[in-house]
Amino acid sequence: MTDQTTGMGQTLLEERAGDAALESPNYDNEFDAIVVGAGLAGSAAALTLAKRGLEPLLVERGTYPGAKNVFGGVLYTPTIRELTDLDSAPLERYIAEKRFSMLSHDDETAISIKPGEWNREPHNDSFTVLRGDFDEWFAEQAVEAGATLVTETTVTGLIRENGGIVGIETDRPDGEIRAPYVVLAEGGNSLVSEGANLKATESRENIAVGVKEVLEFPENDEAIQDRFRLVGDAGVSYHYFGEGAVGEAYGGGFIYTNSDTVSVGVAYSLEDAATKHQTPEETLNLFKSHPAVAPLLRGARTVEYTAKTIPEGGAETMPDLVHDGAVLVGDTAGLVLNNGVHLEGTNMAVESGYHAADAIATAAERGLTSADALSSYADALENSFVVQNLERYGWLTDRVEEDRDLLFEQLPSAVADAGTEYFRMDRAPKEAHARAAKQRIFETLGGWTGAMKLAMRYRKLVR
Amino acid sequence: MSVQPSVPEVQNDSIEDRLYTVKYDDPGDSHLGVKVPSVCTDSCETTDCVPICPADVWHRADTDSVPTIAYENCLECSSCRFACPYDNVSWEYPTTGSGVTYKHG
Ligand SMILES: Cc1cc2nc3c(=O)[nH]c(=O)nc-3n(C[C@H](O)[C@H](O)[C@H](O)COP(=O)(O)OP(=O)(O)OC[C@H]3O[C@@H](n4cnc5c(N)ncnc54)[C@H](O)[C@@H]3O)c2cc1C
Ligand code: SF4
Ligand code: SF4
Repeated sequence: MTDQTTGMGQTLLEERAGDAALESPNYDNEFDAIVVGAGLAGSAAALTLAKRGLEPLLVERGTYPGAKNVFGGVLYTPTIRELTDLDSAPLERYIAEKRFSMLSHDDETAISIKPGEWNREPHNDSFTVLRGDFDEWFAEQAVEAGATLVTETTVTGLIRENGGIVGIETDRPDGEIRAPYVVLAEGGNSLVSEGANLKATESRENIAVGVKEVLEFPENDEAIQDRFRLVGDAGVSYHYFGEGAVGEAYGGGFIYTNSDTVSVGVAYSLEDAATKHQTPEETLNLFKSHPAVAPLLRGARTVEYTAKTIPEGGAETMPDLVHDGAVLVGDTAGLVLNNGVHLEGTNMAVESGYHAADAIATAAERGLTSADALSSYADALENSFVVQNLERYGWLTDRVEEDRDLLFEQLPSAVADAGTEYFRMDRAPKEAHARAAKQRIFETLGGWTGAMKLAMRYRKLVR
Repeated sequence: MSVQPSVPEVQNDSIEDRLYTVKYDDPGDSHLGVKVPSVCTDSCETTDCVPICPADVWHRADTDSVPTIAYENCLECSSCRFACPYDNVSWEYPTTGSGVTYKHG
């Protein structure tokens, strides 16, 4: 499947190569806007611009859109659905079950959520995808709407005139391309935006390192549906926390089911990786070998090993979104919600790309490029779920970080032990078991006072 | 019934085998480096660039030396750029699409 889609990317390029030689693109002043990066935010912006009648140039450094992109696994589609028809999209499975699991070094305590509604269209707009397939498809939707895509072209800088951004520099010969607007959709490793002083480099406390493997089951065609109890196109997202998932670090592990493979990985604080000397590879190995995880992965073979960082600064470190002639979208703007319960960046990337393009199209109608004229993008994002969610959960990440030993090490063991006590099969009366179970949790929480304090600290969660 | 339920073996490939799963096109020159070697040799005692790298790119003999960089292992994840406490990692994208190409991602 991938070979075929790679081929399609090349065809797109070859078609365009007729207009201008790829080796030295003469795209200078040919386009209404330039979008840096054909990830989710970039393609959403290009697609929206094209639909509004503008001619955008979409510049991607990879050999095809998606070639450089990695994520865990669940694409959230409420906004994409509004922009284009999802019927032909390369979706793997819809999410029919979410499972949250606490792992101590050898126990598991889990809750699972399987609403019937998720089995029906639109499947809660949550689907596993592989970015190599999906990003290429999404960029193609933009091209079909009228955008021009160039691949294998790295943007190396921005052209500034009179303080405003008026174009890009690339690593192609004569690689300067000017256009009235530049959309920075380069992801979290924002070399271009940082180089042009449009954002500061995130501190490592606000970055997570993620590693992931795509696994197949060469000797067992039924492994995925049997082990994850799936029917048809149903799939699962399993989330793991605690010592058994990521050792002493702050973060988590995940398993997502694709059609014929599973995506398995860990993502945790870069600060912890550095100070606790916990390498991503070893952390992944330990997670995969946990007694509650290994049986799900038995007999699996690695198809691909990938790695990428996640910006987690949230609303607090969000850079200015709007500049004269330029806007920041998606991970470049730090729009990721990762607080343990949610790991969402795809929906925010698309939503921001859409609003940014909408603001550009409106400004273009008036022939304006100033930050002021583009400020409706920042306003729209403030009022959308993107900034509202980031603000709502900003405190949670900080608090969980403060309570990490309790939440990720002591409590998982205590809950597992309490479970063991509560259901213990011996000749003592159940009341004694219940007392022992309660005792175990209370000790860990610091008695009634400790439990009350903890409840107060997290009460906003259910508000 | 056995006393201890056995945990099945899962396959955890070596880093070399893992990196073999990724298509790689050598740009010829390293896209990674240290900005000021003396910052490594004179100031840095922690060597954070080594444990954070998912692809075993960084090695350092001792805290008096400059790390060696096996740039052709790099997965372009960007962790080292953020992790170096002295902001001493120079980091560029490999040119014109070279470096890693993922099939699945
Ligand atoms: C390990 C991991 C797990 C995740 N899991 C999930 C999940 O399950 N669900 C979820 O919703 N989100 C998840 N996320 C977050 C999500 O992947 C991101 O928020 C989302 O991909 C951001 O999209 P983007 O378009 O802003 O950036 P990206 O997807 O990073 O796209 C940036 C694009 O720009 C290109 N580019 C970069 N620099 C240049 C340049 N100089 N010149 C030309 N092109 C350039 C890149 O090649 C790339 O195509 C995860 C992230 C990680 C790292
Ligand atoms: S962490 Fe930074 S300063 Fe220290 S050895 Fe590595 S590159 Fe040099
Ligand atoms: S970018 Fe990632 S894979 Fe490459 S050297 Fe740095 S930490 Fe290692």
